[in-house]
Amino acid sequence: MTKTGLSLGPVLFNWSADRLRDFYARIADEADVDRVHLGEVVCGKRQPFTDRLWPELIDRLTAAGKEVVLSTLALPYNPRERASVRDFCEVGLVAEINDLTALPAVAGRPFLVGPFVNVYNEGAARFLAGRGATGICLPVELPAASVTVIAAALPEVEFEQFAFGRLPLALSGRCYHARLAGLHKDGCQFVCDRDPDGLAVDTLDGQRFLAINGIQTLSHGFEAFCPTPDDLGKLGVRRLRLSPHTCDMVTVGRLYRALLDGKADRAETLAGLRALDLPGELVDGFSRGEPGSARVEMA
Amino acid sequence: MSLELVCPAGTPAALRAAVEAGAHAVYCGFRDETNARNFPGLNFSPDEMVEGVRFAHAHGAKVLVAINTFARAGAMDAWKAALTNAEKAHADAVILADLAVLDHAATHHPNLRLHLSVQAAAATPEAIAFYADTFGVKRIVMPRVLSVEEIAKLNAAINVETEAFVFGGLCPMTEGRCSLSSYATGKSPNLTGVCSPPEHVAYSEDKDGTATRLAGFTIDRFGAGEPAGYPTLCKGRFAAGGKTSYLFEDPVSLNAASLIAALAKAGVTALKIEGRQRGKGYVAEVVRTFRAAVEAIDAGGTEVEVGRLLAGLVEGGRQTSGAYKKTWR
Amino acid sequence: MADHFRGELPKALRILAAPAGLLPLGPALTLAVRRFARRKPAVFERLGTYGQCSFLIEPSDLDISFLMVPDGTRAEVKCLRRRATQPADVTVRGPLLVLLGLIDGTFDGDALFFNRAISVSGRTDALVALRNAIEDAELTPADFVGVTGTLGRLVDRSVFGGLGLARRFAGSPVAGEPS
Repeated sequence: MTKTGLSLGPVLFNWSADRLRDFYARIADEADVDRVHLGEVVCGKRQPFTDRLWPELIDRLTAAGKEVVLSTLALPYNPRERASVRDFCEVGLVAEINDLTALPAVAGRPFLVGPFVNVYNEGAARFLAGRGATGICLPVELPAASVTVIAAALPEVEFEQFAFGRLPLALSGRCYHARLAGLHKDGCQFVCDRDPDGLAVDTLDGQRFLAINGIQTLSHGFEAFCPTPDDLGKLGVRRLRLSPHTCDMVTVGRLYRALLDGKADRAETLAGLRALDLPGELVDGFSRGEPGSARVEMA
Repeated sequence: MSLELVCPAGTPAALRAAVEAGAHAVYCGFRDETNARNFPGLNFSPDEMVEGVRFAHAHGAKVLVAINTFARAGAMDAWKAALTNAEKAHADAVILADLAVLDHAATHHPNLRLHLSVQAAAATPEAIAFYADTFGVKRIVMPRVLSVEEIAKLNAAINVETEAFVFGGLCPMTEGRCSLSSYATGKSPNLTGVCSPPEHVAYSEDKDGTATRLAGFTIDRFGAGEPAGYPTLCKGRFAAGGKTSYLFEDPVSLNAASLIAALAKAGVTALKIEGRQRGKGYVAEVVRTFRAAVEAIDAGGTEVEVGRLLAGLVEGGRQTSGAYKKTWR
Repeated sequence: MADHFRGELPKALRILAAPAGLLPLGPALTLAVRRFARRKPAVFERLGTYGQCSFLIEPSDLDISFLMVPDGTRAEVKCLRRRATQPADVTVRGPLLVLLGLIDGTFDGDALFFNRAISVSGRTDALVALRNAIEDAELTPADFVGVTGTLGRLVDRSVFGGLGLARRFAGSPVAGEPS
């Protein structure tokens, strides 16, 4: 049986170029992931700070034996952003599209589909596969029943599931970090860089609920989907995605690799994740047909 | 070039009210998860749709049927049936969002006019051209994130008609790409056609007033006697960074009435009024007022200041011109 | 203010009870709803399974409440003296004139959610279903009485007219005015 793939998703937060460089150096040297996503997915305004990093990181990661994928913007809308989507897709590496704006740019080449594209059924998956999609990371809210149907209908496509990290739940034309600081998106002063894991949003009664990251809203809870190889076999999913946070992602990678290789069970994996002292509670509701905020049950 | 007024019809009675109040077109859905306003007791049976189209056509109005949710894996029958029933009822167009449903419609219902729902979140020339070239989409409903200037540029770069929201409830999040509701309740617009579903809503009153909750999460609090809104997730008050505020969106409604002329100049074909879950009296009044405004613009006259007239009908009594003016971001 | 209420309401209630002759209010209303269900089954189709829910209507200015199960031709309405709390799937409380406004179209059901002239508790989904069913039904008081034609129009005019007048005396909120 082929090994389940383990991907490190694109960094969703506004990390500085220095932080990213150090982060990816360690990933290259130590991490148990076989694929790494680079690129800015959330806010085009951050791109000028990180674009020049990618070439050296691509080299570093490729030399370490990692497959590198370039992820593109989920909500491109001005001419510069649309052009950047095109550029990333034409670099020559496999690109991940997060909006259908990218479709013309990936014409005639294999590409990946990210969790921000609405693939809710086998018809949509088949359509994208027909255009050249070789892998699809499914929307985070998609229930297991749907995942199973879609994966069974398209065995030639590698289906991926978001397994670890704050769940990306919504995007907006408005920047919530700017709004909170009394600023406007155009003059945002990049205040989102203050919250490298997102900024917690609680209810009036102090319930932990959501988190913001610029124009993106995420869950407060950290998804901790810990399926056994059997579970994944039944689902038809052949790859898991770990979303980078400030915690030790090398450890996260190691824990998941052991789980996927059948060397550790779910309880041990969860114990390892809990020991990381994450800024959010562990949740896995979406994988169980529950509200996404449902807490991981004590193993 | 006359602006088309596209008005909400949550029920057959509302359809009649909207048509009689001067709607050029009405949009409605079937009573199931194939449309994104899948609330209890709302929408049309197939027979009611036939009747509704007949009534509208007899009064010179068009009917656009919203089949704008994402079909469930392994269970596409309801969406296929909706397309068939819309065509049987002689609907003037269907409003779609899902790639699979678009594909099916383009292949099996070549005579159905296809409009692209705001749920498809197509805001760039590339994305719009893709839908137009691949499925023959003739009109797109624009996401509410674009300013008037951006809409003008967009219209210049594409070959399809555009439809812009001008009145009603605002989604601060990009429509069709939001899972906030399913994080809290397990149900969302993309999964089941509802946001903040009523079966998870609770109003609880204590001596301090009313707390509104969704699946146990407190969304807002109101003092005794204060008007309390429906706890739509993103319209609530939250604490972040040491501040408590309407973080995502103030409880305002969109009223771009004063921008109608500008939208017409920007090349917009149709104006859309949101509100399929609003009452027919409300809808009729809004439609009448906007119809008057549109005719005033057609006649080349000055803009009608309608904002004041409609103030009492909107949630929380406050309004915004939304993203049309760039200050919203 | 209460005097004005008492001045208008008993007449309206008498009209509602009229066709049943000397029947007490609960059975009279039960008959009226069932009769209505036979004449307009589409309203109850729209209500669907929510028709089996119980709705407790508590006019805040009367000391009786109505417990209604709007199950079409099997509908039931009970009149209760309002003392102890009564379990129900949905409870709607408010001044009677405001509650009746949902029927005569003075209020858009949005008064429920936006203006809080009425307070609601219980199953919000059942309430939304009822509100949408009433919205589409375009009800008139004559519907409840089960009369049509000239008599029906008279009933509507007197009750609607009476309601409008009563509201002006009572200072009730009117649709379209900010409250």
